[in-house]
Amino acid sequence: MMQNRPAIVAVGRTKFGEHYGKEPEKLIEEAWLAASRDCNMERKNLEACYMSDCFLPITNKLGLEEGFLSELTELHVPMEVTRSFSAALLAACHAIQAGVYNTVLVGGIEKMTDRWDKIRDDLMLLDDPWSYFAGGTPESNHELMLRAYIKKHGITSKDQEQLEVALAQVAVKNHANGAKNKYAQFQRKITIDQVLNARRSAHKPLGLYDFAPISDGATALILTSETVANKMTTRPIFVLAIGAATDYLNYPAREDLTHFVAAELAVKKACQTAKLSATNLQLIEVNDQSTVMEMISLEDLGLVEPGSVWKNIYESSQTGQLSYELGGKPVYVNTNGGLKADGNPLGATGGAQFLEIYRQLRGEAEERQITIPNGLRHGAVLEFEGFGTKAYMTILGEKTQ
Amino acid sequence: MTSEPIERRVTYLGDRLRACRCQCCGKEYFEVRDYCSNCGRKSYGRMNSIDLFYDKGILELCTYINEPTNKFTRLASYVYGIVSFHGGKIRVPARLTDQLISEGTPLDLASLEGREVTPRFRRRYSVGKSDIIPTISLAFTLTDEYYPHQEYKISQPSKDYELPGIVGYGVYSSRFRIKEEGIERAVPFFDEDSVTAAIEAGKLALIHSSLDSALIGKVYAGSESNPYAVKPIAAKVAQVLKLGKEDGDVQAVDAVDTEFACKAASSMFKDACALVSYPKSGIDYAMVIGTDNSQAAPRGWPGGELDAFVGYGGAAFIFGKKDVIAEVEAWYSCTSDTPDFWRRDGEPYPMHGGRFTGDPAYHKHVRNSASKLMEQCNLKASDLNYFVPHQPNPSFPVRIAKELGFKEEQFMPAIQMTKFGNTYSGASLVGLAAILDIAKPDDRILVTSYGSGAGSDSYLLRTTKQLPDKRNRQKINVRFLAENPFAEYIDYTTYRRLKSGM
Repeated sequence: MMQNRPAIVAVGRTKFGEHYGKEPEKLIEEAWLAASRDCNMERKNLEACYMSDCFLPITNKLGLEEGFLSELTELHVPMEVTRSFSAALLAACHAIQAGVYNTVLVGGIEKMTDRWDKIRDDLMLLDDPWSYFAGGTPESNHELMLRAYIKKHGITSKDQEQLEVALAQVAVKNHANGAKNKYAQFQRKITIDQVLNARRSAHKPLGLYDFAPISDGATALILTSETVANKMTTRPIFVLAIGAATDYLNYPAREDLTHFVAAELAVKKACQTAKLSATNLQLIEVNDQSTVMEMISLEDLGLVEPGSVWKNIYESSQTGQLSYELGGKPVYVNTNGGLKADGNPLGATGGAQFLEIYRQLRGEAEERQITIPNGLRHGAVLEFEGFGTKAYMTILGEKTQ
Repeated sequence: MTSEPIERRVTYLGDRLRACRCQCCGKEYFEVRDYCSNCGRKSYGRMNSIDLFYDKGILELCTYINEPTNKFTRLASYVYGIVSFHGGKIRVPARLTDQLISEGTPLDLASLEGREVTPRFRRRYSVGKSDIIPTISLAFTLTDEYYPHQEYKISQPSKDYELPGIVGYGVYSSRFRIKEEGIERAVPFFDEDSVTAAIEAGKLALIHSSLDSALIGKVYAGSESNPYAVKPIAAKVAQVLKLGKEDGDVQAVDAVDTEFACKAASSMFKDACALVSYPKSGIDYAMVIGTDNSQAAPRGWPGGELDAFVGYGGAAFIFGKKDVIAEVEAWYSCTSDTPDFWRRDGEPYPMHGGRFTGDPAYHKHVRNSASKLMEQCNLKASDLNYFVPHQPNPSFPVRIAKELGFKEEQFMPAIQMTKFGNTYSGASLVGLAAILDIAKPDDRILVTSYGSGAGSDSYLLRTTKQLPDKRNRQKINVRFLAENPFAEYIDYTTYRRLKSGM
C-alpha cells in the first residue's frame, strides 16, 4: 500500500467534443473552476500544478503551457507539464507522498479539432514514426493487432463472426454508457448492426464505430495529502497504487503483437502495491482507442485467459448487459462511455476516467451508478500514451479499505 | 518532413533498410544500434551491421487502408502490414506497392498473409513541389508476382581481358502498361520515377555481375527526367547501392549525372571504358545507368504528339576489364546543334520539332555515326550479328536499319520500344540488353544511340564466352519483363494519373 496516501477531493471537466470557439486556456479554466467549486477551494491554496497535454505545442502552437496556466490562475507556483493525465497524477502523487506539497491541481487538456485536417498525420507520426513512413494510419495498428490475435488463437469461421460481434458490442456498450453521460461527446446509443455495416462499407476489419473520435476537452482534479483530505471532505478517494511501464515505439518491432507488455507490467506493479488481485476489480476504465484495445486490455489486466475474452464479451451482446461476466462476476468497464463515446482529448482523457471512478466510488454517478452486492470498494484506470508505448495503471479506493 | 537533417537520417536508414545483429546473442534490430538491449554493455562495439536491401521477407499480417494519412492520399488505397525477416527476428511496417485497388473491391487479406515479399526502393510519400522527395524501401511486392526475388551473391572475378567491356547489366521497367495501336508502353506506379528505376537497374546489374558493389569507382546516371533540376540521381544510386567502399556514412565513389536527351547514358560508355583502362585511375569498375520516366504533354497540347510513345524504365551496365561478357572494340560519335526536341527549364513537358525530328535529326546523326564506325572498322552490315538502333518510335529504327543494310533478324530483336515505350536515356540500352540476353559468344553487335539536340554514339561490341555463363544469375531480363504475365494493363486516364506520380 502506498504510504501517506494522496487523495482526490474534487473533480471537474468540460464536455468533450468540438469546441470551435474556445481557446485551450478557456477549456482548462472551465475544468479547474468546476473542480474548485466541487470542493469549495480557493486557488491560493494550491501549492503546485501538474498538467498534461499530448501535443498542444503542435495543434495550437502553444509552448510553455505553464505560462498560460499561470496567467489564467494568477498563480506563480511550480507547474509541470506531462503527456498524459496519469503521468501528471503520478508526479503529483510522488510530491505529496514525499511531503513536499499538501494540495495540488492535476489537469489535462487537448484541442485536437483545431488541426482536424492534419491530426491523423500528427497522431501517427508521434505514435510510431517508421509505421507512418511506411504508410500506416492511426487505425492500422489496431487492425493489425486484431489480425495477429485472430491468427495466434486460431479463431476461424463461426468463432470469428462471434469475435466480430463481440468487438461491436464493446462500442455498443460504450455508447449506451455515453448516452447517460452529459459530458460525453456522443450521447446516443448505437446498434451492433451499425457497427458491422460501417466495417462492411469500408471493406475493413474495423470501421467508423470501432474507433474513438478526436476531441477537444479539459479535465481537472484536486489532489491532497491524507490529512488535508480529511478536513475537506468526508469521502476522499485515495490513490492506492500507480504502476507504470514503457514499451517500444514501433509496434511491428515488439515481441508479442497480441498484447501490450507495458499494460501487463503496469497492472502487475499496481496490484502488488495495492495488495490486491486484478480479479477483485469490478470497475475499470480502460483506454479504448479502439474496440480491439478494450478487448486486449481486459486480457492484459489478467481477468481471463488470453485468447478467450471475446467469448465473454459476445455473451454480453446476447443478454444486452452493460457489464462483462468475467471470472464469475460482473465487471463494469468504461461506465462513462469510454474513449469511444465520452471522447478522447489525449491529455485530458485520463482525467475523465479518474472523474468517473471518483463519482462511482462516491455513489454520485447518477444514471450511470453501478451497484455490486458486496459494495463497490475499488476502481481502476488503465491509461496509455501512444499505441501502448506507455501504460499507467492506477487503483483508487476509499479510506476504509 | 521538411527538416533536411531528419530527412537525411531517415533516408540513410530507410532506403537501404539498415539493420544490425548482436554478435553475442544474435538478436537483430532494424536501424543501426551501438549495443544490444539484451546484452547491454558487453555488446558495445560488437554489433554487426546488416541490411535487408537484397533480402526477402514474409508478409506476416496485413490490413487494407482506404483512408490514408495526408501524404499518402495519392495512392487512394493500399494494403499495409508487417513484414518479418529472418524468421521473425526483425519485423518492419510495410506497404504493398504496385497494386491498383479499385474502390469497393473486397480484399482477401488472409490470402496475402504468409506470402513472400521483396523490399522495393520507392518514393515514400507526397511532398510539396519544392521539397526534397522522400524515399524508402519499406515498400514491398509479392515475390510470386511481377518481380521475383533474386539473391545477390558476390564472387571474385577471375579472368582478365585485354579490352574493357560490359561485366554485368540490369534492366528494369514497371508492372503497369498501356497498350495502344500495337505499342505497349510501361507506366510507372505512383511511387516510381527515374530515380527509383535507376536504383532498380543498378541493383539488378550488381546481381547479374555478382560484383562486390564496393569495387565500383564511378557511377554515371543519364536522364532527361530527373525530378530535380539540381540534385544528382547518381548520388542516390551511390548511397543506396553502397557503391565504392563505405567510409562512415559516405561512399568512396565518384558519382555524376549526365544529360543529352536520349544519349545521356550511352555517351558515357566510352568514358567508363577509358576510366577502367587508365592505369592511374585506381578504378576497376564503373557503372553507367540510363533511366527515364519520359514526360509528355497530354494529347492535343503542344508537344502532346509524344504522349503516344513515352515509356518508363532504365538499364544499367557495369564496365570493367575482368570477367567481361562483351568487349567494347571501337566507337564513334558525332554532334551538331540541331533543335529537334527540347525542354526549357521549369517546364514540365518537352517540345518536339515535328517532322524536323526525322531526316535532319535522327536519321542524319544515326546514319553518320553508324556508317562511320563500320567504315573505321572495315565492316559491312553483313559482318555484324546484331544492330541496336535508338528507338523513339516503331518506324525510325526500322527505316535506318534497312537503309544501313541490316536484315530484320539483325535488328528486330533489339526493338523493345514496342514493349516498354521510348525509355529515352534507357532506350538503346534496353535494346542492347535484349541482344545480350540472346547473343552467343563471339557475336558482334553495333549499338547506335541518338540524343536530340543532337548527337549519336556508335559502339562495336564483341561478346565473350562468359556471356552465357552469367545468364543463370539473372531472372529478370528484357524478355521476362516484356512477357511478364503479371503486367497490368491500364486505360489512358489511369496512365495519365500514374504518370503524374505522388
